[in-house]
Amino acid sequence: MKRSWAGLALLIAVLAVLALLPWLVNNYWLRIATGALMWAGLACSWNILGGYAGYINFGHSAFFGLGAYVTALLMGDPLGLPFFATVPAGIVVTAIFAVIIGAPTLRLRGAYFAIATWAFAEVLIQFATVVDFTGGIGGLGLPPFLDERFFYFAMFGAAVLTYLLTWALFEHSRFGLKVKALRDHEPAAEAMGINTSLVKLQTFVLSAVTASVFGSVFAYWVTFINPRSVFGGDITDQMVVMVLLGGLGSLWGPAIGGVGLFVVNRLIWMNWGDTAFYIAILGAAIILVVLFLPNGIAGLFARRAAGSATVLDKAVGKLLGSKGGQG
Amino acid sequence: MQAPAQGGTGQAADPILIVRDLYRHFGGIKAANGVNLEVGRREIAGLIGPNGSGKSTLFSLVAGTVKPDRGQIRFDGHEIAGLSAHTIARMGLARTFQIPALFDNMTVTENLLAAAAQGHWQGAHERAADTLALLKLEPVAGNRASDLSGGQQKLLEFGRVVMRQASLILLDEVTAGVHPNIRKIILEAIARLRERGISFLVIEHDMEMVRNVCDRIIVMDSGRVVTSGAFEDIVRDSEVMQTYLGRPQ
Repeated sequence: MKRSWAGLALLIAVLAVLALLPWLVNNYWLRIATGALMWAGLACSWNILGGYAGYINFGHSAFFGLGAYVTALLMGDPLGLPFFATVPAGIVVTAIFAVIIGAPTLRLRGAYFAIATWAFAEVLIQFATVVDFTGGIGGLGLPPFLDERFFYFAMFGAAVLTYLLTWALFEHSRFGLKVKALRDHEPAAEAMGINTSLVKLQTFVLSAVTASVFGSVFAYWVTFINPRSVFGGDITDQMVVMVLLGGLGSLWGPAIGGVGLFVVNRLIWMNWGDTAFYIAILGAAIILVVLFLPNGIAGLFARRAAGSATVLDKAVGKLLGSKGGQG
Repeated sequence: MQAPAQGGTGQAADPILIVRDLYRHFGGIKAANGVNLEVGRREIAGLIGPNGSGKSTLFSLVAGTVKPDRGQIRFDGHEIAGLSAHTIARMGLARTFQIPALFDNMTVTENLLAAAAQGHWQGAHERAADTLALLKLEPVAGNRASDLSGGQQKLLEFGRVVMRQASLILLDEVTAGVHPNIRKIILEAIARLRERGISFLVIEHDMEMVRNVCDRIIVMDSGRVVTSGAFEDIVRDSEVMQTYLGRPQ
């Protein structure tokens, strides 16, 4: 009980700081904070399917891009719709695509599913490149709106809603139990009466539409998008590494990985003016996770069972050469 | 124990499960080659036979994990052959797997709750607490399933089918290789569940358990039922024992 109160107090403190941040930092750092919130939210969105359902999606940027393009198309000429009207439109379009793509591909598992989703994102890149209404390779511009606080709070709201949805649906509901059951043993989940095909599709759609919301905000924020900038495979790659580093299948892991890696990205850019070195950091992060952190940074602190040692306890025990930390 | 249902080859009085002329071939392997059997209400029927005789495949066919080539499966008055596994499970049929099929990354309690997540959610937390007590799993309730011993994993998988509130439970070697104490817990739980009106079809190699628990024995070989009857009648049939169980009497 003490732990949960302490966790709640920490959460409220973090949210309070984030709510006051626009008045505490300058616009430069506010842009970095806006980006950090976007990546934390996108990592959580990817984790919904990858972490909770165990389906590794290498085409998640497709849904981010769909949200971005729907917002860009609806806000631009001739429609000129207000931003907030384009977000639900992006959600609907993305959900339709997710059902069409998810229904056949979710019959696949492992690398086959990963390749199928990667191919879907590549198809969208090619499609957006060759057709006229997307602006082709030249992309689309959006009406500029230079209010950093607006975009900060838009990303903040989207991120809070994504985490709240994940917490409620995947950590505190029977829907989450069904999803985690099919992740761990699909035939056994079926034998428990769970319609795994339907639950997987619902999870896929949830994962897709949350990414779409961030895509909508991102497009309006940067005021210009092209196929590679919103459908590109490197967007998904970063989400994957962020989740693996933070903790696959955990609630807060994606936030830790998302904020951590994005801040590292910006610091590298500030110091060297180039982010090529960042790619090496991502590679090193993958190696470190595989070798030392199979449950990510969040796993270091997760208490696997009452009275049993955490991964951190075990690591410290090993370091000190004592048996106490071996659990 | 209640008096066993009587019958000839695989037959039971007032059957809850009826299998007729069931076929399933995997290439040249005739895993089910015209299976006929019945399981009565409140009956505990034992399914025995040599390895490869088609017992586990029959479970998968009845539970919907594997689709039959042809044949009929009637469960509680409904034709279920070819239906999806989750549809059959929702009709009141639960099963365990030969190798425990747990939700490894979930805790013991979460495994039990997941079994009730579809259709039996009301009072699920209380029933999970009762099941933990029934199977003496309370000390490990918060442990991850993958951290359990082999015997505890068998108990947990049995606990999940208890949570399903099924009318027919298929148990695939549920006591194989477990400590006698855990075996006793499972057997007592089976007896209590039968008192509540639940029927069982049990694959088992342990003849002592078959003798003590099962009302009727069904013998399978080469994908079909070769005989059935009371345990004493089966063991008296030296040909059956020699041919199918490798134990000449």
